[in-house]
Amino acid sequence: MATGLSGAWAPPCPQASRSTEGGSDLDRALARRLQTALAGHLRAPVGGRGDTTEILVDVANVADVMRTIHDDPGLRFELLADLCGVDTSTAMEVVYHLWSAGSHDWLRVVTTGLSREDPRAPSVTFLWRGAEWAEREAYDMFGIVFEGNRDLRRIYMPPDYRSFPLRKDFLLPDDASRSPGEGVRPMEAAPEPAVLTGTPADLRHAREAAR
Amino acid sequence: MTAPETKVRSLDDPTMFVDTPATIYDAIPPYPPRTEREAEFYTLRDGEMLINIGPQHPSTHGVLRVVLKIDGERIVDLDPVLGYLHRGVEKICENSDWHMVISHCDPLEYIASMFSEYVPVLAAEKLLDVTVPRRADYIRVLACELNRISSHALFMGWLALDLGGITPILYGFLERDEIVEMLAALTGQRLLFNYMRIGGVNGDLNHEFMSRLGDWMSHALRRIEDSMTLINSNEIFVGRTRGLGRIDRQTALRMCLTGPPLRATGIPYDVRRAHPYSVYPELEFEIPTREEGDSYARYLLHLDEIKQSVHIIDQVLHRIPDGPIMAKLPRLLRPRPGRAWAAIESPRGQYGVYAMSDGTDQPFRLRIHDPSFFNLQSVGLLSPGHLIADIMAIMASLDPIMGGVDK
Amino acid sequence: MEVNDPARPLPAPVEEPDGSVDRPLVVANTLWSAADPAAYDGGRPPTITHLRELELYGDRSDNARFSGSLEIIPTKADYVLDLIRANSLWPLLSGLACCAMEMMSAATSKNDMDRFGMFPFRASPRQADVLIVAGTLTTKMAGPLVRLWEEMPEPKWCVAMGDCTCSGGRYKRSYATVQGIDRVLPVDVYVPGCPPRPEGLIYGMLKLQQLIMARRGHWPERRVGPSVPAGV
Repeated sequence: MATGLSGAWAPPCPQASRSTEGGSDLDRALARRLQTALAGHLRAPVGGRGDTTEILVDVANVADVMRTIHDDPGLRFELLADLCGVDTSTAMEVVYHLWSAGSHDWLRVVTTGLSREDPRAPSVTFLWRGAEWAEREAYDMFGIVFEGNRDLRRIYMPPDYRSFPLRKDFLLPDDASRSPGEGVRPMEAAPEPAVLTGTPADLRHAREAAR
Repeated sequence: MTAPETKVRSLDDPTMFVDTPATIYDAIPPYPPRTEREAEFYTLRDGEMLINIGPQHPSTHGVLRVVLKIDGERIVDLDPVLGYLHRGVEKICENSDWHMVISHCDPLEYIASMFSEYVPVLAAEKLLDVTVPRRADYIRVLACELNRISSHALFMGWLALDLGGITPILYGFLERDEIVEMLAALTGQRLLFNYMRIGGVNGDLNHEFMSRLGDWMSHALRRIEDSMTLINSNEIFVGRTRGLGRIDRQTALRMCLTGPPLRATGIPYDVRRAHPYSVYPELEFEIPTREEGDSYARYLLHLDEIKQSVHIIDQVLHRIPDGPIMAKLPRLLRPRPGRAWAAIESPRGQYGVYAMSDGTDQPFRLRIHDPSFFNLQSVGLLSPGHLIADIMAIMASLDPIMGGVDK
Repeated sequence: MEVNDPARPLPAPVEEPDGSVDRPLVVANTLWSAADPAAYDGGRPPTITHLRELELYGDRSDNARFSGSLEIIPTKADYVLDLIRANSLWPLLSGLACCAMEMMSAATSKNDMDRFGMFPFRASPRQADVLIVAGTLTTKMAGPLVRLWEEMPEPKWCVAMGDCTCSGGRYKRSYATVQGIDRVLPVDVYVPGCPPRPEGLIYGMLKLQQLIMARRGHWPERRVGPSVPAGV
């Protein structure tokens, strides 16, 4: 598993995650239903471990995938359990967790294909209005712009805050990216801290238009 | 003597001159609206007014700022502003050990911190593939259910306090104090217990805890019911909460509600039964639901849940086995690289943690899904049309804890 | 070496003749010695004996007596006023986070703050005497909190309850918290703990009452603003 000094997070390859020990609890029927319902949209075979089935989706297909998962009578994942953003140091992801009464597994939808410079994803507020604040939080912490969210402003930080705190290039003041167990990660091998990004592109334009 | 040029007219009383005029803090933000919703909210029609329920207010939920758009006494729209308690817990957790995560996460749901500690522990155990000893599991369930009862007792007191009744909160705190002293005998702390450990719990049951628990169990349910009959049939309370903030099943699912607000609409979703963890499959309890979906139903549901929790504690005390309370784990934990999602049923709803590990001893990403965050969104949906005094009732019945909302 | 060795009597306690406490009490260490003769600087007396801030602010520090206009002859009226102020301190409801729970616990039946006169937790700062800051102060909340403090009329005091308000606490590494409210407010009493027990808060409030009676503390010759010197 490539971790590396740069701290990039490489996901375990889907084949390896279906270990005999973890895969035996997974809902095979669910995996089959997902495969048939979402055939063209999946970027990797349906994976997962333990009690969570995992699918990997490209960011352009998220709206279709979510609608299918929500409406399909065999799937009916009506409860959105969580929506969060992730910054693997090379890219961004949006991860959804869902629950359905028809399966005893959780479903995790990992959305890949977001760049770190201009992360954009479609919003799922058309399906779950309660995802609005979660998308605001992902925007606030990472800068991921959810297209279709009517209320994409900062939720935790003050409105004039200019950084995105949970990004990997936002370092805490005490240089806390050290681990007591692993020893000091040599700073010269760490990537250059990026210039802290300002507002995403489209909001910048709106601000200039308003001026 | 010449008139000083610095005197300006007072904004409070234009017939007066003052040296420095008062600063007017407007509820309308000083920058142009950045989103559609903000533009819609901060555009006032004729007769509408913006009122700010500031971060400091007598409602005891914590620092939540709510901007109300009112027309007379009726609320037209509502914009909650969060972030006054945002402490950056997720970022701190990314730079901490897997063990340190426990003490960073427990102030999130501070009155039910057994739950907010339990979930990251559960996620780490999934990444480590650890089997927790059964005695530890039973002790965890015992501690969690006790904490649930104290949290619910507080909720009922707070709901009454927000409606103006000052007596029930004292009864609620009396209950809570007794339970919390019991937990202090077990864990050493009244509030932020720091009791859960990856692989088990911190300390075994001791004599003081068991004697306090025995004393409490003998009168627990009766005393809680007696003190809550103060409120249940109180005409003012019922009149103010019945029919208030009614939400139906479809809307509840769309708003991602979990916990008592969801069960009060009739959907029997409880993580302890839907996706069992720990020893809950072996325990016998019901999932209380109500049909009406209003504040009164949510209140009564909490009372039902207290009864179920007492029943669970009873069973746990009869079935708890002997054995170790901690699994054997290395001191420096390096879980396998991967992702794990763990969710439990906290007093507020489904509390989840999504943990990503990169093989080192620090979590790569620890995302905490707090139920209060999602439940609080419904306030904007439920309030329009009601009076200003009803917001507090609606918000209190959704039971938010700002520590979790703001992380 | 025996601790209670009769052959080595304890040194006499240091007494201040005039009752003022503006000088540090330095007691020579004759009771025990370390095993290693090079430990503790080899037995040299410490160079830092007191906080430099005591010199910086002279008699305006919080160890000083009240030096206002009534300094010359404190009258019985002053004493009575202090007694009144101390015994009816009305706190402002400023519970931010977890410590607010223990503050409320301290106010309710089992640990009753009402018997000290502190029952009415006022919602409005205009009616409050003491600001008990209970809970983590974030940078977003710092503005409103200081505004609340400025709206409170004199005489007013500030109690920092909990580790987060004393020094930043468990959020020392956070990007969004204020590391101790004494960076933004003048604090009179610090009540450490995470969270402090209700008895601890009551002890802190009793200390505040003693401060008021002894006319120590920041009021009324208050330096408006932080009490932590610049550069710390």
